[in-house]
Amino acid sequence: MKGIKTWIFLIMSFCIYQKGNSQTVNWNALEDSKHIIAAGIGWDYSVSYSLGYAYQLKTKVPIVLTGNFSIPSGEKLLDDFKTKIGGQVVLLNKSNMKGSIALNGIYRRYENPLVRLQNFGSELRGTLGYYKPKWFVAGEVGFDKAIVTYFKHSETFKEIIFTDVKDGWYEPSTGGNFLYGIQTGYSFNKSDITLNIGMVTTQDFKTTPLIPYYLMLGYNFIIN
Amino acid sequence: MNIKILAGIGLTFILLSCEKELDIHEPGNLVPKTVIEDLSLPSISVNGTTLHAETYGNPDSSLVIFLHGGPGSDYQNGLNVKQLADDGYQVVFYDQRGTGLSQRHDKNNYSIQLYLDDLTAVIEHYRSSPAQKVFLFGHSWGAMLTAAYINAYPDRIDGAIFAEAGGFNKQLLDEYGEASRKLNLFSEITNDVLFYDQFLTGRENEHEILDYKLAIASSFSYAEGNDEGIEGPSAFWRNGATVLQAFMDIAENEGFDFTTNLNQYQTKVLFLYGENNKSYRLRFAEKEAAFFPKSEIIQIEDTGHEMIYFKWNSVYPVVLDYLNSLN
Repeated sequence: MKGIKTWIFLIMSFCIYQKGNSQTVNWNALEDSKHIIAAGIGWDYSVSYSLGYAYQLKTKVPIVLTGNFSIPSGEKLLDDFKTKIGGQVVLLNKSNMKGSIALNGIYRRYENPLVRLQNFGSELRGTLGYYKPKWFVAGEVGFDKAIVTYFKHSETFKEIIFTDVKDGWYEPSTGGNFLYGIQTGYSFNKSDITLNIGMVTTQDFKTTPLIPYYLMLGYNFIIN
Repeated sequence: MNIKILAGIGLTFILLSCEKELDIHEPGNLVPKTVIEDLSLPSISVNGTTLHAETYGNPDSSLVIFLHGGPGSDYQNGLNVKQLADDGYQVVFYDQRGTGLSQRHDKNNYSIQLYLDDLTAVIEHYRSSPAQKVFLFGHSWGAMLTAAYINAYPDRIDGAIFAEAGGFNKQLLDEYGEASRKLNLFSEITNDVLFYDQFLTGRENEHEILDYKLAIASSFSYAEGNDEGIEGPSAFWRNGATVLQAFMDIAENEGFDFTTNLNQYQTKVLFLYGENNKSYRLRFAEKEAAFFPKSEIIQIEDTGHEMIYFKWNSVYPVVLDYLNSLN
């Protein structure tokens, strides 16, 4: 059962959705450009650095396909990371008012001296805002769901804490966080400087992550 | 050939798909079962809860009750203390309510007074006669609880050992916390206790997932260069995340002061601190000891906050001398 869900999810992620979180876009500065390269630094559960790519489809309704890779700060480079691929579509498309929905498939990894986690998840994010060619400001809400997670425990964990711990795929969903905040940006030449800032709360709205905020300062370079 | 490869990949996918997934909420998968789910565990039922508990030594001997740290840890890393059973003491261990392998309760169940009542009930459960002496041996949070108990009931306890209490009142707790929990936002070890918030989230009383989350954060405490001088991982069964959060909220919202009556306690008390704990040191021990009329402070060489686990051979003679002087 786990496997079926995982593989369906993976296939859906790779074939249908395409988007990356930090590609915050000024829809009124994008025009007919196809390619966007994005880089960001900020707080995404931890100090985080990201790189991304976006491709705008030639469609009546603006659609951007994106991919994003981010790593948190720390001495070990790739023990923790997050990848997102998905799509972002503008559903409300007035001259200055834009409303968009983004859907991402997520694969992320975490490792510390006690356990290695690999998770497949999804993120749904909605944005509504005011966009001008030189700047924009928008509100955003989203939900990040950790759908299925693989746990592999270290020998230290088994020796010191719980000998009979069971490694494997775990369900139901091991986690879920809501986010809400604002995004804003300034556009010039072929570039955007963007800022996303907001709060994170867990799915029961009673508890929060240890640091319940997110902040991402991004730079987009539009190629053509 | 390509068809064979594709068939092989497809078969692999199908086999993987058939693998049975595990339930994150099932006790025994990621965290051990408590006394409620595993009836073979040693336990006592007192004060409306079931506690994981065991004793060593002659039931008629003076009681030494070990109070573990936390709030939310368990007594496994204090089991060295059972050596005192060979010296004529009955050593009692119990996982405090909501911690270790003891029964879990909802977050709004917990209070300092309830923990004191639990301790009273544990003493009554194991005490075989009114003449039987009772000593408390508290480590970290357990030492704070020891102070709270003596502060509430100064005439019930015949002696007390405080191994690096985290602070007898809110002010001292904050002082210790600031000294011992410095975060470098760019370090791996800080990332290890923050990044996983997107993998695992538990609702307020989802004990299995919350306890597990706290367990895998434990590597933070013994990271290389930690200020508390902790040498490495020490054993525990299962953290109690809900009770930890409950007491953090109580401390933050209501504050606490376990020192108001300590000056009435005329028995000499013993303070221990690890040489390598940069957050505690003699100065902090002196501040805490000053609340008591009679005290002795001993430094345990070449260890830190987990001295009972890592340097029991140094702790043991000091504790035994103290107990024998009062027994």
